Amino acid sequence: MISENEIIAYLKQELGEDLIEASKPRERRVFVRIKVTTLRKAVNTMKRRFQTLRFMTISVVDHGLDFEFLYHFHVDGAVVTLRSEKRKEDNTLESIVDIIPAANFIEREIGELFGIKLVNHPKPQYLILTKDWPDDKRPLRRPLEGELPKQARPVAEALISTSCVAPISAFMQKKREEAGLPKTPPFAFTDEKAMQEFHGIMKDTSFAKKAGFDWKKKRLRHK
Amino acid sequence: MVRYASFLGCQIPMRIPSIEIASRKVFEKIGLEAVDLLGYSCCPEPVISRLLDKTAWLAVSARNLALAEELGLDLMTLCNGCYETLVETNEVLKHEPEELHKINEILKPYGKEYAGEVKVKHAVEVLYEEIGVDKIKQHVVKPQRIRVALHYGCHMYREPNGGDINRKPNMMKELTRVTGVEIVDYGIERLCCGYPSMQADEEFSLKQRLLLKLRHIKEAGVDAVVLSCPACQIQFEIGQIMLKQYGVQYRIPCINLMELMAISFGVSSKDLHLEFHKSPVLQLAQKMEAT
Repeated sequence: MISENEIIAYLKQELGEDLIEASKPRERRVFVRIKVTTLRKAVNTMKRRFQTLRFMTISVVDHGLDFEFLYHFHVDGAVVTLRSEKRKEDNTLESIVDIIPAANFIEREIGELFGIKLVNHPKPQYLILTKDWPDDKRPLRRPLEGELPKQARPVAEALISTSCVAPISAFMQKKREEAGLPKTPPFAFTDEKAMQEFHGIMKDTSFAKKAGFDWKKKRLRHK
Repeated sequence: MVRYASFLGCQIPMRIPSIEIASRKVFEKIGLEAVDLLGYSCCPEPVISRLLDKTAWLAVSARNLALAEELGLDLMTLCNGCYETLVETNEVLKHEPEELHKINEILKPYGKEYAGEVKVKHAVEVLYEEIGVDKIKQHVVKPQRIRVALHYGCHMYREPNGGDINRKPNMMKELTRVTGVEIVDYGIERLCCGYPSMQADEEFSLKQRLLLKLRHIKEAGVDAVVLSCPACQIQFEIGQIMLKQYGVQYRIPCINLMELMAISFGVSSKDLHLEFHKSPVLQLAQKMEAT
């Protein structure tokens, strides 16, 4: 019988850096967190290696800002779950039906109940809902919202992007100079190194992720 | 000379710099050297950041404390909110070694470490305890003959280790009295101004908190409200404007303790740039100058 450690070691070897973390919280139970982009590769890899592999189901959790996809497999008496997260703005799920035909119906359920667009699914029609079901009212989909209440979002956005909850305007900079003060106080945003430190802390802790901050756009993903 | 690392916070330099100007002038007169903390960030603010992620709240605060530690100085803040965050995080970092270790692991890649050596004080404490009322009194050349109400701000009552919560408010009261004003009690000094609840329920914040205070203050027949917290200051000033939508009109000047002290030291309203205020503080100061 293959051990939990052997399953983890094999997936680590095959997936490399695309495997984020793996754990075995109890006997014959394995969780493997992977990048969503490597999901099909992981499924393929498991099918190739484990001859007794049995697909169980897929669970989806709507966390508000992200979807979490959990693919459950039975391998030689152990339950192995591949976990991955995807931003809800993307709103697609690549089908694994060509690798695991048994995933057909559950993928269709996911597609219609969460409003996720299935990619390369052989028959992406509704399974449960009526044909005239409105696109914008999916039974299991939550609004695009993080942990912060609406009123707190501008403060969090200002804090993460500028290191300050009251960003200084050009008008205020001018007024400060007229009043004989330095244009800006010696804030982190005036110093590249200090700002790197501050942003590093925001990334290394869960603050920016919980707030739903988009580092490329330098603003929250939701208003 | 008394030396402190000065933590200006966000609201004072960005929204009401007249408080920064006043405090610099007051500190210079009384012989308090306030060393600017280069590269500091938001404390971070004590409501949202702590609830969203306690580790980030501690780490950002520890970075600010480490900046003061690098200077070999204790930290002084003018803002009540910054005071609360920095004091409370400092208590955790000083007394919980596992938490300090965890936070230092976060700071390590950026070349920062906090050893827990810094003391955090509100400017009111520094002025009262280290400069002293008698010395400050020597600099009062223009005692202000006006009646004022005090709003201490909730965080002023924070006292670590179960100490007397009225310690700092009493200090603020004595420091205010030094300027020559008459302090009028209005009965609900402890009530919050409503600033933190603005983010949750604006109408509640304005009508159930600020308006109650304004009514009592107005009935007390004062010329101004004296505050030490910039967030409360913003709530009192902008709140009076916002209350107009509910058919309520108040125009009570809201002055910061540092500004009142600077005026009593003879600094002109022009030099203080009181035009940053959204309540008639400038008009009040000009009236005081004329008498």
